[in-house]
Amino acid sequence: MNKLFRALKLNEENCRGCTKCMNKCPMEAIRLKNSKAVIYEDRCIDCGICIRTCPYSAYSAEKNSLCDIESYKIKVAVPSTTLYSQFGSNVKPFQINEAIKKLGFDKVFDISYASDITSEIIKKEIDKAEKPAIGVFCPSIQELIKVNYPSLLPHIVKVLTPIEISASLIRDEYLKKGFSYDEVGVFYLSPCVAWIPMIKSSALNLKTKINGIIAINDIYSNIIKNLENEKNLSTKPSNISYTGLSWAYIEGASESIGLKQFIAVDGIENVKLVFDDIVNGKFKDVDFVESYACNGGCVGGTFLIENPYNAKRITKNYFDKINFTYGVKEISDYYHKEFSGDVKNIKVVNQKLADDFMSAVRKMKYMNELVNMLPGTDCGLCGSPSCKAFAEDVVRGLASLDECIMIKNGGEKNES
Amino acid sequence: MKEELIKLHYDVVSGDYLKAGESSSNIKKALMQLGIKSDIIKRVCVACYEAEINVVIHSYGGCIDVTIYEEEIEIVVSDEGPGIEDIDLAMTEGYSTAPETARDMGFGAGMGLPNIKKNCDIFGIKSIISKGTEIKMIIYFE
Repeated sequence: MNKLFRALKLNEENCRGCTKCMNKCPMEAIRLKNSKAVIYEDRCIDCGICIRTCPYSAYSAEKNSLCDIESYKIKVAVPSTTLYSQFGSNVKPFQINEAIKKLGFDKVFDISYASDITSEIIKKEIDKAEKPAIGVFCPSIQELIKVNYPSLLPHIVKVLTPIEISASLIRDEYLKKGFSYDEVGVFYLSPCVAWIPMIKSSALNLKTKINGIIAINDIYSNIIKNLENEKNLSTKPSNISYTGLSWAYIEGASESIGLKQFIAVDGIENVKLVFDDIVNGKFKDVDFVESYACNGGCVGGTFLIENPYNAKRITKNYFDKINFTYGVKEISDYYHKEFSGDVKNIKVVNQKLADDFMSAVRKMKYMNELVNMLPGTDCGLCGSPSCKAFAEDVVRGLASLDECIMIKNGGEKNES
Repeated sequence: MKEELIKLHYDVVSGDYLKAGESSSNIKKALMQLGIKSDIIKRVCVACYEAEINVVIHSYGGCIDVTIYEEEIEIVVSDEGPGIEDIDLAMTEGYSTAPETARDMGFGAGMGLPNIKKNCDIFGIKSIISKGTEIKMIIYFE
């Protein structure tokens, strides 16, 4: 039986109730209940580490397939900039675009153009955010801020991601051409699972609506087949921007924007260290922080084939080979407003133990007592990732104290 | 008499820059679980971290005592150390007695005490030469 958590499907037959995903989850969002994994959805940030970790492939993503594009009259692909690093150094981006088109798309939108627009808007908006400004281009990082760092919200630069900007531009283009909204299907060819819930929740804003997510690894072999036939194409001048492409890897965005005093950080545990320091008021001379859940940035996504470090090398080659950039300088007031507005609608996830303050205090006191009582070995047999997390689960009514075998056997720690 | 609801205690070791910040992260988590507003939490973290760093840089060691009341949080940071000779001078922006090495690391820019005060609703400091310093910070929840 499949159980759905946010964008993740858990195949319960495959789940053996080992503790690997629970222990690796950076958000302590996974529990074992009756020997099957359960995800606390309000804490999950869709990073996909559980997919990577599970030795039994119990997790999969709730994504679209290529067949889904058939429901639309006009089918538009928005390939992630990471896609261009997945086929070695000798294949040119325009060849890859042609190969994607042959999958059945009417148009392949050049997302590097949208990245260049995002860069330009960040230049104009960065000073309006509290210093250090935080660029949020990774949906998991946005979720991390919602769950753990709501006090950092004033630091976020107000700008849409290149994916949302792409969707908006595509919709405008086809609306002008006379197509109705529902006739146009926009599909993001995604490097990671994190975009799936992000795009579901952005459906409120029709302008930036993406109709579906296609995982790059699902279409990888089809693209390779199509590329075989592309080989004979004469070399066309590349119409893709190297500044936009550099958004695929960590530091690329900051460098494209032309920032010097920036921090680029990858991996959730590392991002947490940086965010903790920002909350504490360190980094007084840092202008900008760029952060990603995956190692190496987007090239480290779960749906990608190429080793992220090699993918970065391949993408960086474009810096030397391509000398084309959109170099967007002028953005109309209309688009500036649309792409920088507060449309992200970031809703903070509440972590309080109880609705009213005094009940929360009582629960916290009990929780602290429990922490002193528990063995502190973080053995995981209770189904929570640590004794502290278990104590919190107990006071929240999500676990019962006798699920701890040490407590049950009377082996509690008595000194306190 | 205000009722003390939650008490937290952290020891601060002189010269241990690495551990500095852990206590404010723990306090942050507790305040989030109590449903305190995020802008208040940030002020608490900044004030607490600056005060902790002061203990790490200047003293022989000390501790942080946090008391959560219904409407406010009180943080008392006390240390054993040389004390502050001229408190008014120490409260001046840019004044610092931090050693060169600490300043190279971005610590001790002489913004610590003024920055703490700025983030507090009530701020008090007392210091005895050759004995130590105690800072009392109160931040209201509303």
